[in-house]
Amino acid sequence: MKKYLYKIMFFALVLVTTVSCEVEEFSDLNNAEVDAFEENLTRGDLQDLVGGLLYSSRLRLGTYYDDCGVIGREFYRFSGSDPRFTGDLLGGGELTLDNNTFYITAPWASRYLTVKNANLILGFLDGQDTSAQFTTAEVNATKGLLKTFIAYELLLNLNLTYENGIRLDVADENNLGPFVGYNQSLTGIRALLVEAASDLSNGGSDFPFILSSGFSLFNTPGTFLQANNAIAARVATYQGDASATLAFLNNSFMVMDSEQLNLGMFYTFSLDQTDIANPLFFSIEGLSAANARIAQPNFVPEAETGDNRLSKVVLLDDPIMQDDLSGNYALFRYTSNVDDIPIVRNEELILLYAEANITINPSETVNALNLIRNSAGLPNYTGTNDPTALTNEMLTQRRYSLFAEGHRWIDMRRYNKLGDLPIDRTADDVWVQFPIPLTENQ
Amino acid sequence: MKQKNSYRRSILLLLLVLPCFVFAQSTLIGKVNSDKGETVPFANVIQKGTTNGTTTGIDGNFTIEVPSLPTTLEFSSLGYLTVELRVTNATPITVTMGESAQALEEVVVTGLATSVKRTNSANAVASISAEQLTGTTPPPTLDGALYGKFAGAVVNSNSGAPGGGISVKLRGATSLQGNIQPLYIIDGVYVDNSSIAAGLNTVSGAASGGSASNQDNPTNRIADLNPEDIANIEILKGASAAAIYGSRAAAGVIIITTKRGKAGETQFKFSQSVGWVEAINLLGVRDYTAARVEESFGAADAALFVAASNAGTLVDYEKEIFGEHGIVSNSNFSMAGGSDKTKFFAGISHNNEAGIVLNTGYEKTSFRLNLDHKPQDWLKFTLSTNYIYSSSDRGFFNNDNTGTTIGIALTATRPWDNLFPDANGIYPDHPNNSSNPLQTRDLVRNNETVNRFIMGGTVNLDIYKADNSNLELILRGGMDMYAQKTRAIFPKELQFQKLTNGGLNGVSSQGDTQNKNYNLSGFLVHNYFTDNDINFRTQAGLTNEFFDRNTVLVTATGLVASETNVDQAANTGVNQTRVQQEDSGFFVQEEVNFQDMLIATIGVRGDKSSNNGDANKLSYYPKGSLAVNINEFGFWKEDGAWDQFKLRAAYGEAGNFPPPGALFTSYNAFSTGGILGISLIGVRGDKSIVSERQKELEFGTDLSFLDGRAGLTATYYIKTIDDLILQSALEPSTGYTSEFVNAGALENKGIELSLDLVPVRTENFEWNLGINWFKNTSEITRLDVEPFNIGAFGAGLGTFRIEEGSSATQIVGSFAGELRVVGDAEPDFQMGINNNLRYKNLDLTFLWQWKKGGDNVNLTTLLTDLNRTSHDYDDITVDPDGLVVNGQYRPGAAADVHTQDASYLRLRELGLYYTIPKAMLSGVIGGTFDSIRLGFSGSNIINIFDYNSYDPEVSNFGGGTIFSGVEVTPFPSSKRYLFHVAANF
Repeated sequence: MKKYLYKIMFFALVLVTTVSCEVEEFSDLNNAEVDAFEENLTRGDLQDLVGGLLYSSRLRLGTYYDDCGVIGREFYRFSGSDPRFTGDLLGGGELTLDNNTFYITAPWASRYLTVKNANLILGFLDGQDTSAQFTTAEVNATKGLLKTFIAYELLLNLNLTYENGIRLDVADENNLGPFVGYNQSLTGIRALLVEAASDLSNGGSDFPFILSSGFSLFNTPGTFLQANNAIAARVATYQGDASATLAFLNNSFMVMDSEQLNLGMFYTFSLDQTDIANPLFFSIEGLSAANARIAQPNFVPEAETGDNRLSKVVLLDDPIMQDDLSGNYALFRYTSNVDDIPIVRNEELILLYAEANITINPSETVNALNLIRNSAGLPNYTGTNDPTALTNEMLTQRRYSLFAEGHRWIDMRRYNKLGDLPIDRTADDVWVQFPIPLTENQ
Repeated sequence: MKQKNSYRRSILLLLLVLPCFVFAQSTLIGKVNSDKGETVPFANVIQKGTTNGTTTGIDGNFTIEVPSLPTTLEFSSLGYLTVELRVTNATPITVTMGESAQALEEVVVTGLATSVKRTNSANAVASISAEQLTGTTPPPTLDGALYGKFAGAVVNSNSGAPGGGISVKLRGATSLQGNIQPLYIIDGVYVDNSSIAAGLNTVSGAASGGSASNQDNPTNRIADLNPEDIANIEILKGASAAAIYGSRAAAGVIIITTKRGKAGETQFKFSQSVGWVEAINLLGVRDYTAARVEESFGAADAALFVAASNAGTLVDYEKEIFGEHGIVSNSNFSMAGGSDKTKFFAGISHNNEAGIVLNTGYEKTSFRLNLDHKPQDWLKFTLSTNYIYSSSDRGFFNNDNTGTTIGIALTATRPWDNLFPDANGIYPDHPNNSSNPLQTRDLVRNNETVNRFIMGGTVNLDIYKADNSNLELILRGGMDMYAQKTRAIFPKELQFQKLTNGGLNGVSSQGDTQNKNYNLSGFLVHNYFTDNDINFRTQAGLTNEFFDRNTVLVTATGLVASETNVDQAANTGVNQTRVQQEDSGFFVQEEVNFQDMLIATIGVRGDKSSNNGDANKLSYYPKGSLAVNINEFGFWKEDGAWDQFKLRAAYGEAGNFPPPGALFTSYNAFSTGGILGISLIGVRGDKSIVSERQKELEFGTDLSFLDGRAGLTATYYIKTIDDLILQSALEPSTGYTSEFVNAGALENKGIELSLDLVPVRTENFEWNLGINWFKNTSEITRLDVEPFNIGAFGAGLGTFRIEEGSSATQIVGSFAGELRVVGDAEPDFQMGINNNLRYKNLDLTFLWQWKKGGDNVNLTTLLTDLNRTSHDYDDITVDPDGLVVNGQYRPGAAADVHTQDASYLRLRELGLYYTIPKAMLSGVIGGTFDSIRLGFSGSNIINIFDYNSYDPEVSNFGGGTIFSGVEVTPFPSSKRYLFHVAANF
């Protein structure tokens, strides 16, 4: 009898001891918390944080380029599992662009997420004494890079929502700035790029971190400044500010060399499990309507004979069709799932140069267009030098040179020519802009 | 230190009480009968809590002297259930003892360590016996046996894949973001019911389209439990009954008791069932004609169609994939027995079930050993152990964004496509899709294997027993450990894995999960009876639970040769997820039973948890209830028509933890061309998040009349959830698309009715009829954030929307930018009708289940429309103007076309059994067999619904959400037919 009692008393005692102890408090067991960087930001931390920026700047790019490419009638996006690429984006039937569907919400949120990644780093740098870890020049260089990224990300969102605008000031997540219209947004983006340029020029000789191979030509504050100016040139062109465009181009990496059209800054991709693969690549072999990008049928017939830029599409054995759309040519702009996607490259800069000179120095426009034409295997431009003709020629060259790089829709919109884009099904629409995502509560 | 003090106090009490024993003496006489009317000789008659006792004579009579009245007598005899009888006067006593094979008077739990007679319960606690659970037809999984058997539960199968994947939701919407699945407790052990994804997303890309929810559809781990081991299930549907389980109880608690041995001759039981499964409903092929093929697919395909049609080589690929008859085999063997001191139950079972798709199936082996040991009168040990091995092959189904799952591939497949392998076993590439579904079916492996050990032990110690009071100490410990392996293998020869097709050259995704939960608790239960038969029962206890899960998922792509090891690959990614939680709490409860007329309970639980923002802050969950048995008040004659007339009311509160990660804003690790980086993932956490709090008030009545041949239970409840945790949408320009906040309140109101009838009861024929009916409506009563969409694929196709004043499960669609309500997932009502007819030795049982109303978002037809393969493509049924064929109308139409009524009426279970009586078996193997039972059963045999797909019961996003009923090319559900033979010996 007694021995049982003792045993049970012992067990009870053990139990009480176990139970009465404090509950252990856990931090996030699986991930690094944001708060952790608010003090003691180290060089290693900064490398990781900038690395995250490189990562997130590529999130949902595929959707961004599909949005621009499909609405700009560069290509169709067929998907067996999502009807909205051929429905909503082309305005099929009664369908319109929804303000709460992935084609706007996903790229929009990804761009702002990248802006937040950058703003957090700016906050860490400003919120603590970093003198033990970084020189002032290194801090400047970092800020210049971060601000350039922010400006570029904002520009991509503005490209989608156009006159619906964007929020320019989002540094304080609890006190967001207002939505501002297209022109004011461009002004703000350009101002931020100029501010970034000033930081970069005070940024010494090296960044305190390494960048991916897509930035190999721009991996110092001095060279990155050229890339900053290249983006600023694009913004100035969107503003219709030709002289500023030329000034920015002058400080950019533009070279008038047909061998170096592909010089530039790139998004890179890999098959590493934590990385992203090129979202715009589909293998031509085995291509089916389940997942395909098919060039809009006018793309090939409307090209001049001998244009070698038609290598960006591939003729298929049989047409691929879906939803009353059909095409013989598949997009082959990217030839593998690890191909780079340009952020900005020399070919675009030369075309920006041509565009800016239409009003300032038309002969320079013709020279630049001829450089592009010749490199595409085409003879010199034979048209007149009046602005309308040059603009049309410039837009045509941009159409083929920058095919599937997200420009066509925006270019046609800039020149009020969206009505010239082809309508493939009677009830289709060419959208001017995306609505602001529902959750912005506008 | 509570126990120790209480213990000392009880010793003191004991010393005070002891001297009372020496006063008046009474002589009690009586007779003990069995429930079959025979006398029970040599039964023990003991004055409870003392050593004073006697035995009955050969005629069943006894005489016992007791020191005072009232007192309690305990009657026990081998092979009979022990009977306790409270004696208040000295009139002769007649005691009827039931054979131990029969159920005790039904009891329901009221505390962590106590239960009361059902007739005294203040809650509508549902309970399911072993007979109801497995008696009609053996369910493939435990949760699959709950359909239609009690009021208040929505049981939903997420897909038809073998091996489970079922969600159980009690009393409507419990939470929007938190846990909605009930807590499962088996023999005192908190068992894990996780669903662990196998990493199919790498291939399907389903979650890349913007819906973060896991669409892998893994098994939920409660499927591991063997239904044949279960003696009884009790369901505490809401906080009013479950408050004593505190911070984990908001979604209800399912308390499972397994079978235990009984003293007496060892009973052996063997049963074997064999049968098959087949799809309940296939959609069929579009009514193709040469003209239609030409219009939809062009002249080349039209020629192929005509050629195939003339050659008779058109293939119904849906039938080819889903048309298998999967063989099902269940074997069970158990033995039970023991002595008065030590009893055991041992059972082993093996289930093997093939699916309706080749290479899918489910296999499970379970071994159980339950021991009870009672070394002394006042001391009892119980031990429950269960080992389970299970393996399920679930195929590759549901949504994807890559055209690779079998379901998506089928939508693009036409009867004239040639997908069969050639003589060398080489599969042709699908002409019209990125994967060949036959090749995917034959070569892809998606397997989950679990080795699980569940063990629980209890010590009951009567610290002291006296005539009118006693004190019991209960110590309990339990552990649930399992190791789960997931293996998803996509070989490189698959069409979508070939490098030349832009594939990854083979994917091997291997996950390993180690899960360990343990829980410890100690309780003291004190009973005190007054002289006028008022019982006070006080209990207090401490509890501690610890949860630890670690999942490592390795995904390798670019496989070497035909290797599947993850190191034999070009690229390898690793993902680790840890979940740890520690909870600790106490509870106290007081029950007062006034002569079975009034039964009142009041109690409180206090809990702290590492999962709260402030881990060591106690949250309190009170409860209180009152049951009034009007029939006991003496208004009615003892032998009147009323057996019971009870009114009851109960109130309780319970908690629901914030989901993992809700407390933190964190970076995730990624890389860019080999450069590591950390990036936000768009979700903002909040350290000040508190648990959701559920407050439930229920009241109702239990009526029973005509000698128990008619019974009605009616319950009305109001269940509110405060501090509702929302992953509310945040302006994406903040950098976060959503954040966790306590920002709302949700209310559910519902009615539950159960009617039990015995319309006919004669010696040879008996008909038992049970009907349950229930209805729930939910409403978001407060929302502190902007209304937001959740849980589907956007407003264009129909999405759920959380909005103040609306149902929590309303479905809205976008009509030219304007949102309109197009449906609601909540059913209008559900109903179960259970019939049990027995004629002599023949038993017929069948269960109908009717779900009326509730809508699904059906995207399967949309996907087939886009590929022009819909079975009803050329019909004109959805266009209100009657002009456009379905296949062309639906893709451009607004969301209301995809939102469809998901009502159904099913013959859920049917069983027909014949028991060969013992008399006929006397000559067989020396009369070894006590009985042999032969039978036939089935489930889902008749299914009636209007819904335009395989089955309205479906959930693309699995069971962890109230937003079920979204369908994207699921694994079709199946019906089962089984033949049985069972022997007792």
